[in-house]
Amino acid sequence: MIEQVQIDRPVEDRAGRSSEPAARAPGESRARVLAALSFRNISAIYIFIGLFVIFSIWVPDTFLTWGVWRSMFATQSLNAIVAVALVLPLAAGLFDLAVGAEVGVAGVLVAWFLTKGGMPIVPAIVLTLIAGGVIGTVTGLLVVRAKIDSFIATLAMSSVLLALTDWISSSQQILGLGSSFQSIATVSFLGLTLPVWFMLALGVVVWYILERTPVGRRVYATGGNINAARLTGVRTTRVIIGTLAACGVMAASAGVLQSSTIATGDPTIGPGFLLPGFAAAFLGSTQFRGGRYNVWGTILAVYVLATGVTGLQLAGAPVWIPSLFNGVALLLAVALAKSERGARRAGAIRRTIWRGRSPSSEHPVPTSSAGA
Amino acid sequence: MDEVSLLAVRHLSKSFPDLRALDDVSFDLAGGEILAVVGQNGSGKSTLVKTLAGVHEPDPGASVMVRGRELVQGSGTLEPGGLHFIHQDLGLVAMLSTIENLDLTRVQGRGRDFLPFRKRDERSRARTLISRYSAEFDVEVPIAQLSPEQRTIVAIARAMDGWRRPDEVLVLDEPTAALEGEEVERLFTAVRRAAEHGAGVIFISHRLDEVMNLAHRVLALRDGRVVADVSTSEVDHSALVRAIAGREVTIHQRVKGRQGLPVLSARGVSGGTVKSADLTLREGEIVGLYGLLGSGREHLGGLLFGAVPRSSGEIDVAGRRVDIHEPKDAIARSVAFVPSDRHRDGAVMDMSMRENLTLPMLSPLVTRAGALRSGAERAEARTWAERIELQPSNPDRQLQLFSGGNQQKVVLAMRLRTEPVVLLLDEPTQGVDVAAKAALYKLIDSATEQGASVMVSSADARELTLICDRVLVMRDGYVAAELDREHLTEEALVAGSLGLT
Repeated sequence: MIEQVQIDRPVEDRAGRSSEPAARAPGESRARVLAALSFRNISAIYIFIGLFVIFSIWVPDTFLTWGVWRSMFATQSLNAIVAVALVLPLAAGLFDLAVGAEVGVAGVLVAWFLTKGGMPIVPAIVLTLIAGGVIGTVTGLLVVRAKIDSFIATLAMSSVLLALTDWISSSQQILGLGSSFQSIATVSFLGLTLPVWFMLALGVVVWYILERTPVGRRVYATGGNINAARLTGVRTTRVIIGTLAACGVMAASAGVLQSSTIATGDPTIGPGFLLPGFAAAFLGSTQFRGGRYNVWGTILAVYVLATGVTGLQLAGAPVWIPSLFNGVALLLAVALAKSERGARRAGAIRRTIWRGRSPSSEHPVPTSSAGA
Repeated sequence: MDEVSLLAVRHLSKSFPDLRALDDVSFDLAGGEILAVVGQNGSGKSTLVKTLAGVHEPDPGASVMVRGRELVQGSGTLEPGGLHFIHQDLGLVAMLSTIENLDLTRVQGRGRDFLPFRKRDERSRARTLISRYSAEFDVEVPIAQLSPEQRTIVAIARAMDGWRRPDEVLVLDEPTAALEGEEVERLFTAVRRAAEHGAGVIFISHRLDEVMNLAHRVLALRDGRVVADVSTSEVDHSALVRAIAGREVTIHQRVKGRQGLPVLSARGVSGGTVKSADLTLREGEIVGLYGLLGSGREHLGGLLFGAVPRSSGEIDVAGRRVDIHEPKDAIARSVAFVPSDRHRDGAVMDMSMRENLTLPMLSPLVTRAGALRSGAERAEARTWAERIELQPSNPDRQLQLFSGGNQQKVVLAMRLRTEPVVLLLDEPTQGVDVAAKAALYKLIDSATEQGASVMVSSADARELTLICDRVLVMRDGYVAAELDREHLTEEALVAGSLGLT
């Protein structure tokens, strides 16, 4: 239960307190709180604390300055938006490998609307977001109507979108977006830039929908067992199209913010968002909810990875270190989650990956362990 | 048994952090003997198999000997070899062919793993192996394209392939769970043949009747302990049930309810294996559906619910023509359906009992802001957990952590909570133990008292004679016969399904 976990509290002083008003045995609620605070449940928080301590000692002069953190929050907010966008289809059991290309096409599209299209900022952004929704809907229709596995449909869609990106931009950077458009990504409130606040707001909305509404329940049910969901009356086609469309809109918003940040419609930035987004969503699924894709675990994963990378960069590590750190961290986190008895914490990843391979069954026929 | 028995298990225990799954289990198995291991879900049957197969490590102090040779190694795990297994799901890889599946368990010589297969030899070898069970089919198509019966033969052939001597130990873990009448017989014939050649067979099963027919001895487990180890000639059915359940489980013959008005009527529906079926379900009655696999019985429920595509026919619910194409159309008319395979179709196993329970009908739990009222949901989940006697009674536990019987109770409760007018049940008690069966029958009965009309499709003739007001017998895609309360016997059902009336 994510709602019971106070993300930034220390461990010991909460251990004895009941986290739920309901009439439960004190021993049980104590066990629940301990479980919620266990390393396995929130390993990312403990890793964050560890990283923070290490780099505070190692490079205190730079690591402990607000400017470093402010810039890290700002630069990672787009990765976080893409990762949150991915949580929805992943929770519904779908891969959206086109998410990077969706960011890329939105980035040049909004730039094209502003320059060649000569549009004001608001309609240009709205049209770009709509385009993102349309792309997601088309992908959803390919999955639902043409019955193409989401892994393949989105992989193909990704290639089509890359072509579209190059066509719109003529493979050139689109410049001259105007200073007011540029200010969207740079304006800040209370010390944090607009994209950070937008990312947090998006997180709250997606969290609310997934965890608190019937829609979210149906999304998780579709991802958990699409046959059972359909037979209990869940309109799984709507869930599939809806999550992919929502993912498309959110990815498009990341594209708009990216173009604003660099004041350029750059046709090459899209694919770079794909792997960090999936890494964070996978990592996030091992946090808090014990094997369910979830928003706060995902956002946390983005920033824990970023903290490690930032610290290493400040300590003067070579340029290839961040990629290595990200890869190793993902492998370690998922392997740790899998080593747990029953391996349920890594269950979300296993399920999504299995779905594509054996469409007929949630339970693939296991190989024999016959001892002949 | 003073001479060295084929398999001797002594003081076998297996503890998990929160549970002692096996508690000092000891038994012997002689060559040529068929030993049935029975028990409820969670009694330790599967743990026993997994421990023998080397999947679980037994607690210290255990001894497992094959022909006097100790299998328990220093580290505690069992050395593989000497025991052969057919697992619950047959353990075949659906995408591989018969030849490839047979190869999976073959021990290759050292360093030969990378040498190419000799294709022609392999093919003729596979054909020879399956021909031992008087079968002949294409050994090069994927297993997925074979019939369940053919798959069973592949599994048997594989388990009995490469025996160094005829008296080895064969362990079958609920091999009949997915099989129907004739396929079960075919499997039994193969098992008996192996025993006649001197093999010792351990047969794990839920179905008591078949155990009594097949086995020489019965070993009953309850809570991980051996509660009975007797020859089948000395034990009677009710004594065995008592030993398994630990108390007398009585399944009362259903008292005929009042005959209400027709609620669902179908004319000429076809689709799947159903060629054309007419039927009427009345308020408050339980109608059984019996027939062999392929008779249409297995598809009629799904057809009426819209889960199986319907090619023709008309369906009226409560006197009004309804257009059912998809499950949601049927659900909108208060028709509910419990599919036969609860893992594949029945519930979302990695969601909690509470989330599953409310999934089919979330609208009463929604606030004006569109959020779920979690307090009300929890309260409702607790009420239902009590009503269905959920064990353990924790609605927030993941459904897959419950025993099969409890899972099935939840699958049924999900549907009952929506107060359906028509309740279609496909194999509602498949793979659950006696006590859970009794509880499920009680729940079904209570639904009819509230006016629902129920259709139960089952391969278990005895079950249908106990719980139904009347039974429709299907054959070759048609409703071939109808038996009412007075004429309802197991013999009549079986005869009807075979066309021997």
